[in-house]
Amino acid sequence: MGLESIDLTAFLLGLNLIVLILGTLAIIVLPGRGKPVAAVVSVLSVSALSGILAILSLRYGGLEAVFSMGSFIGDVPLRIDSLSAWFILIIAFVTLTGVVYGMGYMKAYKPLSPISSLHWFFFLLFQSSMLWVCMVQNGIAFIIVWEIMSISSLFLVVFDHTNPRVLKSGINYMVQMHLSVVFLSIAFIWVYFKTGSWDFKGIETYFTHFPNIGLFVLFFIGFGLKAGFIGLHTWLPHAHPAAPSHVSGVMSGVIVKIGIYGIFRVITYLKADYLLLGEMIIGLSLVTGLFGIMNASVHRDFKKMLAYCTIENIGIIGIGIGLGLIGIAHNQSILYFLGFGGALMHVLNHSLFKSLLFYSAGSVYQQTHTRDMNKLGGLLGYMPHTGGLFLFGAIAIAGFPPLNGFISEFLIYSGLLRAIQSPGVDQITLMILAFAGLSIIGGISVLTFTKTFSALFLGSPRIKLEHKPREVSKLMLLPQYLTVIAMLAVAFMPFLFLKIPVQILAANFPGAPLLQNAEVLAYASLLQQISLFFLVFLLLIGFVAGLRYFLTRNSISVSNTTWGCAYTAPNTRMQYTGKSFSKSFSKLFGFILLERKEYTELMASELFPQRRKYSSHYSDIFEKKLIQPFSRSLNRFTNLFTFIQNGRIQTYVVYGIAFILIVFFGTIFNLWH
Amino acid sequence: MIGFILIVFVSLFFTGIIIRTKSLAAGRKGPGIFQPLKDIFRLFRKGSVYSQTTSFIFRLAPLVYFSSVVMASLLIPFGVSRAVIGFEGDFIFFAYLLGLGKFFNIISAMDTGSSFEGMGASREALFSMFAEPAFFILMGSFALLTGFTSFYDIFNAIHLNSYTGYALGVMAALVLVLLAMIENSRMPVDDPKTHLELTMVHEVMILDNSGFDLGLILYTGYLKFALYGALIANFFIGGLALNAALPLYLLIQFSFAVAVGLIESFMARFRMSHNAQFIFALSSVSFLIFFGVLLIMGKLN
Repeated sequence: MGLESIDLTAFLLGLNLIVLILGTLAIIVLPGRGKPVAAVVSVLSVSALSGILAILSLRYGGLEAVFSMGSFIGDVPLRIDSLSAWFILIIAFVTLTGVVYGMGYMKAYKPLSPISSLHWFFFLLFQSSMLWVCMVQNGIAFIIVWEIMSISSLFLVVFDHTNPRVLKSGINYMVQMHLSVVFLSIAFIWVYFKTGSWDFKGIETYFTHFPNIGLFVLFFIGFGLKAGFIGLHTWLPHAHPAAPSHVSGVMSGVIVKIGIYGIFRVITYLKADYLLLGEMIIGLSLVTGLFGIMNASVHRDFKKMLAYCTIENIGIIGIGIGLGLIGIAHNQSILYFLGFGGALMHVLNHSLFKSLLFYSAGSVYQQTHTRDMNKLGGLLGYMPHTGGLFLFGAIAIAGFPPLNGFISEFLIYSGLLRAIQSPGVDQITLMILAFAGLSIIGGISVLTFTKTFSALFLGSPRIKLEHKPREVSKLMLLPQYLTVIAMLAVAFMPFLFLKIPVQILAANFPGAPLLQNAEVLAYASLLQQISLFFLVFLLLIGFVAGLRYFLTRNSISVSNTTWGCAYTAPNTRMQYTGKSFSKSFSKLFGFILLERKEYTELMASELFPQRRKYSSHYSDIFEKKLIQPFSRSLNRFTNLFTFIQNGRIQTYVVYGIAFILIVFFGTIFNLWH
Repeated sequence: MIGFILIVFVSLFFTGIIIRTKSLAAGRKGPGIFQPLKDIFRLFRKGSVYSQTTSFIFRLAPLVYFSSVVMASLLIPFGVSRAVIGFEGDFIFFAYLLGLGKFFNIISAMDTGSSFEGMGASREALFSMFAEPAFFILMGSFALLTGFTSFYDIFNAIHLNSYTGYALGVMAALVLVLLAMIENSRMPVDDPKTHLELTMVHEVMILDNSGFDLGLILYTGYLKFALYGALIANFFIGGLALNAALPLYLLIQFSFAVAVGLIESFMARFRMSHNAQFIFALSSVSFLIFFGVLLIMGKLN
């Protein structure tokens, strides 16, 4: 790396900062309509700048710029290696589609326009802070940018601040993000005390000299809170539905992946315990995936469903990560490649199709003002583009050919198949369980997404809406189509994208086995071949369509009502709802999917029953059985000390006086030694 | 290529044999074995009725369903002769292709906005979800046993593994027969001849399909049966020369069809609420195969 590249890096980063400041000024100064435009321009420029940085770093094998930040923090290195570059490129793309979509989406929020400058400012900050998180490699500076990222995303989430439920979700998010900060801070401070360095290289030194597992687990919990591994996931299903859809799209697409980035980053420094950690992560991820998708299948709030589905995908990514670790432990380059490569590809894929799904779900919400899928139906007729886009996302996220989800899931499946040939029975069993578990996850995704898609878009509207839904603006459709193009690119040219993970794997993991070129090439060409089969499959469908057209061109085609099994007065309320669709599933897994029903039983004496209500809600078993009792008992304990914080100013003055007296007498009697 | 041609060939009279067996078991003479095929050709020439509620999904779904099964058939080898498409991990592609077909079937049923079709769609989604792990554990176990990950290599390596391999093959055949019954919505799980919409699974999903589309869906069902039959046969014919493999293949397909007919004649459909448990229990049979493989490989010492 030459001197010029360092200067260039600093220059581009400085430019990034200038754009951020200029964009903020523009947002503040410009009138209402100009604010989103300023935001889009700034986000676009920051995306472009960081994209250039990332591509440069991929070209030259890493960029580095060091800023001096005083004596305590020390030098803050900004390093962009291929791992950072991969995540930076993803962030740049998704935030860009997010801001363009948001520009259209926010038009519906007229009453909240006074705080729109705040919203756009935080969006800019959010984007830049996420990019910085991927570059900064100094513990303290990292915590600071991490905190900026969390806070700015918090303000994005609570945009609809007049709604108390949104505020509650926001506070929940804030508390959990700070739990994450606590764990990360402890980890960094631990490293500092043992090695005397805030630089990330200190972590490597630590791992070389001390047991690995403790520190890794600390980091894993800290980052896992962001990523949403099971037990650490409870903020996701609250924050995602509460946020405006362009924010939830970006959050689910990217911010959750920052947690994955963190885990990957720590793994690059790992020196031992690969096998144990790999097995632990696979086990945890498997449970995460199953739990996420099981919950996703029952919720009626479609954004909550998508949030749980994100948890599921984190599970899939986690299985890949665990597999890669086992590959390192056994010194099997193929496992290392398939596991980490599959996980990294799935990070890309998931950020694409999940943001697409959130955007199209947001369009539905914007037009219908409800997130309850059981109230909707038949939207495909009103919003054909949105419906088609959602279907695209649904097929991709269920991992079906011919879309990009299959590519990454195939890599992870193949890795598991390879790992089945392990020596120990425990590992073989774990692998076969993961293999079967992944297939169940796939099966439940089918249930979830057929349910959601059909409840939203198919059949007839279940209730009459105040306003007839219309197709959303072109401004909102454009970023979604861009995402679809990106998805198709991954599906049909996977080798182009796989190059970067290969580069990451070749350079970033010192303890890992050497990537075998032949193996990588074999899988690259295999993926290329699969893309070809995708094409064959599509051609086949086209061919059969042509055949049908040819054979039926002369026969009569009539339109009539749906066959109601000889019942002559069907109405739209009789349709199967999302709830009834998933009912038999939720009943079977009632011990995990806690359902709360509220209704009054019909009494025998009631000859003429009155109108009555029935409601049913599902709650998260972790939240309900673990976290709520814990926080309740914590509350009860801290309530014992309410006599200290009693709200009376007089008492507080007494505390002050007492404190001063203690200091005073302490000094006099020299008690401080 | 032979594998694919044979699947298409067998699919022509597979259902005919099932119906003939059922007729004979019921003491009737029954229609000729090509009758189902003739019905399909009649449907192809007929006009069709589309529900006003439906969208393009409804018209697209039969095409995707058919194409997915055809594509999946291309993945099936025939003993020593390779499949048209074959690669490492091709059975994952196989399962996901079939899954895509199901996905479209389900949303096409939901597209009609009918209360009955939703019922079938929901059951189909649930049952196929439970069936998924049985297939994956089965194939995973054989991948473990043989050290290969594609249909062709696995089937050919099982043969080399002598008698123990065959023992597992029989158990695998059992799993696959039951899987085929579930995938095709046949007897222990679903009764294709039932007359009550409330108790149907697959039949109720295609209530609104007519004409060419219905014909295509029906033929896809036949193809799917032959596909599973071919999969079962492959467990036994791997590595055999063509002149020995071909009769054995046809015999297995034939006895599979007869077995389906007999099961349908002498068994009643399960209670709908017990189906899920039954299907999930299939995974435990797959686990038995897995433990069998562990035993054979001497890993359980």
